[in-house]
Amino acid sequence: MKRYAFGGLVLLLLVCPLVVAQETPPAPTEPVPAAQEPAQEVAEEVAAPSCSDCHDQGKTFLTNPHARGAAVDGGVPNDVCSTCHGDGAEHMEAGGDKSKIVVPRGQAGAEETCMLCHDKANDRMTRRGMHANSEAVNCLTCHSVHSGDARSPHLVSKPQLALCGSCHTQAASMRNKPYAHRLDRGGMTCSTCHEPHGRPAKGERSLALTGHLRTTSDGQAPCLSCHTEKRGPFVFAHGGAEAGDCTTCHESHGSSNPKQLRRATVKQVCMECHSPTGPAPLGSQPPSFHNLSLPRYQNCTTCHVAVHGSNRDPQLLK
Amino acid sequence: MTRNRWFLLALCLSATPLFAQTTPIDLEIGYRWTDISGNEDMYRTQINEDEGLLLRALTLATIDFGGKASYMDHFRLDISDMGVGPASALRLETGLSGTYRFNLRYRRTDAFSALPAFANPLLSGGVIPGQHTFDRTRDMLDADVEFLRWSAVKPFVGYSWNRFEGPGTTTWQVGQDEFLLSQQLRETDRELRAGAAFELGPVQGTFTQGWRTFRGRESLSLAPGAGNGNGSGTVGGRPITVGEITREEQTDVDTPFTTLYLSGQATSRIKLIGDFARFAADSESDGTADATGSLASFALSRFFSGLSEQTSGRAKNTTWRGGARAEVALGDKASMTTGYRREHRELDGSALIRTLYLQSVTFGGVDPRDIEVILNATNAFEREEDVLDASVSVRPLGPLSLKAGISQSSTDVTIAPDLSEIVVSGGQGGTFDRRVRSFQLDGNYARAGFILGASLRRDNADDPILRTDYLDRDRYRVHAGWKAPRYFRAGITADETQQSNNRSDTRFDAKLRQFTADVEVTPIAALTLRASGSRFRSDSNVLIRRPENFIIEESVHLERGKAFEGGLSFAWSRLSFDGSLSRFENEGSFPFELDRAQARLNVQVREQIGVVGEWAKDEYTESSFAIADYEATRFGVFLRLRR
Repeated sequence: MKRYAFGGLVLLLLVCPLVVAQETPPAPTEPVPAAQEPAQEVAEEVAAPSCSDCHDQGKTFLTNPHARGAAVDGGVPNDVCSTCHGDGAEHMEAGGDKSKIVVPRGQAGAEETCMLCHDKANDRMTRRGMHANSEAVNCLTCHSVHSGDARSPHLVSKPQLALCGSCHTQAASMRNKPYAHRLDRGGMTCSTCHEPHGRPAKGERSLALTGHLRTTSDGQAPCLSCHTEKRGPFVFAHGGAEAGDCTTCHESHGSSNPKQLRRATVKQVCMECHSPTGPAPLGSQPPSFHNLSLPRYQNCTTCHVAVHGSNRDPQLLK
Repeated sequence: MTRNRWFLLALCLSATPLFAQTTPIDLEIGYRWTDISGNEDMYRTQINEDEGLLLRALTLATIDFGGKASYMDHFRLDISDMGVGPASALRLETGLSGTYRFNLRYRRTDAFSALPAFANPLLSGGVIPGQHTFDRTRDMLDADVEFLRWSAVKPFVGYSWNRFEGPGTTTWQVGQDEFLLSQQLRETDRELRAGAAFELGPVQGTFTQGWRTFRGRESLSLAPGAGNGNGSGTVGGRPITVGEITREEQTDVDTPFTTLYLSGQATSRIKLIGDFARFAADSESDGTADATGSLASFALSRFFSGLSEQTSGRAKNTTWRGGARAEVALGDKASMTTGYRREHRELDGSALIRTLYLQSVTFGGVDPRDIEVILNATNAFEREEDVLDASVSVRPLGPLSLKAGISQSSTDVTIAPDLSEIVVSGGQGGTFDRRVRSFQLDGNYARAGFILGASLRRDNADDPILRTDYLDRDRYRVHAGWKAPRYFRAGITADETQQSNNRSDTRFDAKLRQFTADVEVTPIAALTLRASGSRFRSDSNVLIRRPENFIIEESVHLERGKAFEGGLSFAWSRLSFDGSLSRFENEGSFPFELDRAQARLNVQVREQIGVVGEWAKDEYTESSFAIADYEATRFGVFLRLRR
């Protein structure tokens, strides 16, 4: 019942101001009595062309961070456009001649406009990261500077799943599997875990060290941003989790198997490590009463419930 | 959490009167109905979209404050899927240029799991779902304020809150049987952080000091009717049963952390970057457990009629990592990156477990007495990883770019388990080293809408740490695409990953191949057609040893998947339509089919008001396990306001 009450309140509070706004349109600008304004000033005002006279993007710039602090009377002045496009006077005088205006495109466009401001010390903006500027991938490949989807922050040109999935098809198709994170719903997107601008550090073991992943604020794997209870530390840590990482057992992008596991059955997940057939690797042998042909022992986690680590039982039984 | 959501909503809406009349708003709100047949638990585990009122989306953003931007000059509020979720989010960004920036993010997810076969030893008796289930919610809140008043130093303060709570079921293995328990869980993680971004001449960086606390509380009790346990047999002729189980557990973790990031332009061509992070997590845990019934202990060779257990544990994890990197521009068409990182992780744990076995007798029925067993266990774990990498990027000919990189990663793991853990000796402790050398080559050619990319990566390791670690791994990827302005886009991608550990005692071999093609055609501006198809094939084999008879056999995992997706978007006058069909089938170790269809029709009633109708259908079928199947239809009607 609470969720309905909450939803109802949201509806009421949000719709009311909108309805009021719809019903009481902005008061039309009062015509300035000609007698009170010098005629020359009025003539100049009429003559001054605006980029948005021809380009609708000028209007949508009211949600655009690039025009922050510059909006005037529901529009953006030409200065905002000229930051990236240069002085548009000639372009206007020539009736919109496209050759007389700067149109940043491709790698060069990104480097000569976007990177002038965005290439700060911030590691994420490195020129040599995963998506370093190239003709194939550059700022303008993913960001739509003028008309990003109203619901898409950071001027990303499409919903992230569609955008990233257009190249990263393998990862995107994993999302169709029955057990997957709910991407593009509830605020979770590809960039919740991935750093699209890339951090060049690479590592083998630690997820937090791999270059394309975001980390928690203290530098741990992104999985732990939400699944905080798995952070531990545990008195009896699971060696597989500590020596490996979450992806030792789980498929992060989506899986055909329950719990996004890498294998179809729990016993397979466990036994592939817990079979010391040789001398070297980590992973103990279960005692012989674990008869894998019996249903009771096929789901190891029925007894070993604390597979992520335990503070209370050395065998991870609670 | 309801109280917090009300607060958040009030906070966000309180700002709306400040907006000018031109504030763009996009709102979609309505009601969704659901019709589910088959295994509803499975539907909830996989999809969990519920029936009820739904705020599908709200976006409200402006930079126009009608010249009254005293406290804020930009504002953006995004809400999605709030109401009957199952995953909703709210995001608020506001600030005043040159003064401050405020970000607030709130997310709520419903976590539900009740799988028929998972953790279910009673499945053959037709009992579903399994014994490990939960119906919980996770609420997450992040708030960050940056102060932008000064150019050299920009302080910031942030707070994060994460709560996971709700009921569930689990099991406890006690007295030689497992018993189903009802569980109530409440875990809260809070983080406060403060620091500053600074720019001092050519050096820029960020320093953060944070404090995190985790508080976990768990109450467990015997589930109704679960006193007979999972085992149907007896021990020494006695059935194992319990009359009552209660457990209370709490865990507190405190974690201070420090991070530092530094970057500087050493020369016009060389940029140096360094970073450091350290945290020290200290956990304390206490628990009590009480059980009464007819129980047995093979370790004591006794029956007993009750158990009282107290546990007290402490664990400490100290981790630090640091690295340095140089980015060197080699002329206009080439650059080089080289770096070194080290991570050190140290874990120490100790626990005191006192177990009192009440009214125990030997298996022969003599020597009645209470027996207390005290276990003082300690654990230690240490992991060190060093990574050295270098790469060169060149753009020799216009649209062609090449990148080659090498890296070496060394991992040393030392585990010192307590002897109490050793049930069957071996593989639980010791020192494990692994060194991986990698080589990667990427190439891209992009011209006139045509893109051709290829990637090759080869990894060679000297030793495994886990049995499923590879010794050799090769990855290949080829991507080709063509994009014609406005009316056509197509792409194909092929991936292959092969990894193996060919040691005679492991014989691990895994191969994954995937081929994907997609096409999008826009014959007229109002119509877009799209289709994609992919096939994947995954094979994994590794030797395992069955514990009951020590026979060594192959553990085989297969996936033979096909996925097809097609859809169209159409917009004409006041109508817009978007529909798609998809099918996913897997014929491997876990065969299933998943068909999905969805359609969405938007009718623009007035310039700013539209009505949206939505329909979606999911059909899940497991060919070898029909009890998991479901068919779910959802339809909704939404009002859309956009101006």
